Amino acid sequence: MAAFLFRRLFYGLVALWLISTLIFLLSRLLPGSFGAQILEAESFYSKGSQGSREAAYQAYLQRTGLDQPVFYFSISSSAEPAGIRHIFPESDRLLLRQLAWQYGNPELATAYFRALKQFDNPVEQPGQLQLKARIQKLHASIDPETISSTTDSIYQLLQGQQQGLVLRSAAEALIGDRQPYRALWPAFSWHGVHNQYHRWFSDVLQGDLGKSYRDSGAVQDLILQAVGTTWWILFFSMVLTGFLALELSILFVRQKGGKWRRLLLPLLFFLDRIPVFILALLLLILFASPAFLQLFPVYGMGAYYVGSQSWPERFASLFPYMVLPVICLVCVNLPYITNQFYRSLADVSQADFTRTAKAKGLSEGRVIRRHMLRNALFPIITLLSDFLPALVAGVVVIETVFAIPGIGRLLIESVLARDYPVLVGVVLVVALFRVISHFVSDLFYGLADPRIRLRS
Amino acid sequence: MHIFFSDIKHLWKNKLTFRAAVCYLLGFVLLALLLPWLPLPFGPNELHLNQVYQPPFESANSQLHLFGTDALGRDVFVNTLYGARTAFFISFPVAAITLVLGLTAGVAAGYFGNSGFRVSRASFLGVLASISFMVYLGLYIPLKAELLLPGHPLALVSLGALLLLLLLLWFVVVPLLQKFAAFRETMALPLDQLLLRLIETFTSIPRLIFILVLSSFLPPTVLLLTIILVLTYWTGTARLARAEMLKIKHLPYFESARSLGLTSWSLIFRHALPNMLGPLLVSFTFGLASLLAFESTLSFLGIGIPNEIASWGRMIAGIRHNTAAWWLLAFPGGFLLLTVFALQVCNYFILTLIQQKKL
Repeated sequence: MAAFLFRRLFYGLVALWLISTLIFLLSRLLPGSFGAQILEAESFYSKGSQGSREAAYQAYLQRTGLDQPVFYFSISSSAEPAGIRHIFPESDRLLLRQLAWQYGNPELATAYFRALKQFDNPVEQPGQLQLKARIQKLHASIDPETISSTTDSIYQLLQGQQQGLVLRSAAEALIGDRQPYRALWPAFSWHGVHNQYHRWFSDVLQGDLGKSYRDSGAVQDLILQAVGTTWWILFFSMVLTGFLALELSILFVRQKGGKWRRLLLPLLFFLDRIPVFILALLLLILFASPAFLQLFPVYGMGAYYVGSQSWPERFASLFPYMVLPVICLVCVNLPYITNQFYRSLADVSQADFTRTAKAKGLSEGRVIRRHMLRNALFPIITLLSDFLPALVAGVVVIETVFAIPGIGRLLIESVLARDYPVLVGVVLVVALFRVISHFVSDLFYGLADPRIRLRS
Repeated sequence: MHIFFSDIKHLWKNKLTFRAAVCYLLGFVLLALLLPWLPLPFGPNELHLNQVYQPPFESANSQLHLFGTDALGRDVFVNTLYGARTAFFISFPVAAITLVLGLTAGVAAGYFGNSGFRVSRASFLGVLASISFMVYLGLYIPLKAELLLPGHPLALVSLGALLLLLLLLWFVVVPLLQKFAAFRETMALPLDQLLLRLIETFTSIPRLIFILVLSSFLPPTVLLLTIILVLTYWTGTARLARAEMLKIKHLPYFESARSLGLTSWSLIFRHALPNMLGPLLVSFTFGLASLLAFESTLSFLGIGIPNEIASWGRMIAGIRHNTAAWWLLAFPGGFLLLTVFALQVCNYFILTLIQQKKL
């Protein structure tokens, strides 16, 4: 039994590690991080110079650890210039990459690029405007003829100054030493433990999920706060769903329940196929909109009280806000759960011990509740492990529709804002939740059914 | 297979509900395919800023908006029709690709099990090398080159080099390796274990959350969304195909076919696949219904699908700004539900057909 449980737990944890690693790496490898977008935005209010913005970008990289390589090793094209992630802004990065790929020589391309960057803060001198136009031309071109002719004219314009000479010789070296297909050759580099993944993973093991890109709040605090709200909705809807499903399936399995079964099962069958967001919106406009019946408050989770509130008070203030979301979640999950309960009960009703119980002359209710239910409940335990994650997925949509500040809304907001640390954190928590619920259901199943315990 | 089709024909003749559902679905497909050629009064993204939130069936300025308009004066009727087209063009290819992918993986895992698939070490190394070449030279370099230097021959050269390397590998290197006894030795690939672990990893977080996360990393385009959906949906079909294959493998007819010495190929294609047609059809329609709902959920949340594309979810999302505009929910939502229910009805009849045959 213990060996079986540990094997299941081990596989679950391996799957958890794989999926979170995959999502972490994807989030770091794909372009367009949140901070870079903000710092690059040249708006009316940000009057900072290019230099100060670049300093801010370097500080941002340092702070978030984005200046380090992503993984322990990397395989990339050997045309890819080293230290590309320090180059700012995005357009410069693109230029350097293009140069390196075009000429197949990242070292010379970097040298030429650095020489070009020397002109970013020029001193006042005659011919300023012409120089600026030429520099801009170089920033937009990777064509060899344009580069050599423009660097030549810059050199002449500056009349033998050091800067012009450096730029021209760098350009000549770059154009002279072309290796056009070097890009096809892979370059393998080993980065050791100073990488983003190592840092993130060791932090996660210590319970630190990182900092949000948006407000620099600790991710675990944000998640904890959101879970606090979601938890109540999940709890109530689970209890209610379980209770209703149990009573309905008992009703169906009774002798006289055939009529109800024929009426309700197809209804549940169709309810099952209604998408969550349509159901939620329907409830919202029917029961919480001034145009129809306004029985419940529309949005949110009530006012935020600063003062201390007693437990029942807090609950009473939250209750009206939770009615519709809970109803919605119950409706979404009821068909499946009822169906499973009913199947399980119907199977047991064919068993010998049920017939014996009936033959003893027990009443039908007693046979169902005392004899059948216990045996029917065993397979239902495994259902719990599938049920919980499904609930979490339903919560995403429901919290968006009803504007409840829970885990689902946090997820949607972080997706829309590309706030990757929060995103990875939420995924990790949800997946962990699932592994735990699988483990618990395995445990209960083993405890409840001696056959499983003895077999393994 | 013939029996299965004649059963379906029988259903068509005798069950009115089934016939209605199938007719509706055929009409839906026709509408989705022919929509751009239909004479519609408005385009799906045409704005009428002087006619916002117009209730249905009322004409103003001599322009009839049959199902009303939304916050930007877009016609709900036209958007509902175009939403059907978008939903069809996203969910149908995904369901088809998923079917093929899941079927291949599931049948292979079920048929070969953990020890049935044996390859020589040389070919195994060859496959590993081919995969890494394909990823690097066939995917990474051409994509990067297209992105950085559009029009540069680098991408083509890379693909050419890939072809050359693969030819060299399979016609020279692998045959050479086969000459050594150590490389000729065969090894069993645990396909079943591999598939189960892979499914476990892919299902370790709920599908909606997985898709939300993946689509946040990528720009919203229909192609990328299709890939993401396929990535998350193939597990269900694979699981089903594996279970069916395991069941069929132990049926007497299959065992006798195997004892006749038929090849794996003909065993799978002639004897196993026709027998799982029913369950596969159910899984296909079920997946289609689920994808239709999923597509509109994603477009409702505004994630994964570009906002310029007309969709049911986009129209329905408008109701959150004005809860009195019931027509924004009623028409697209009703259309969506009708389609999903029609698929469900077909599913139900096919399922009962399969169950009847088992008894």
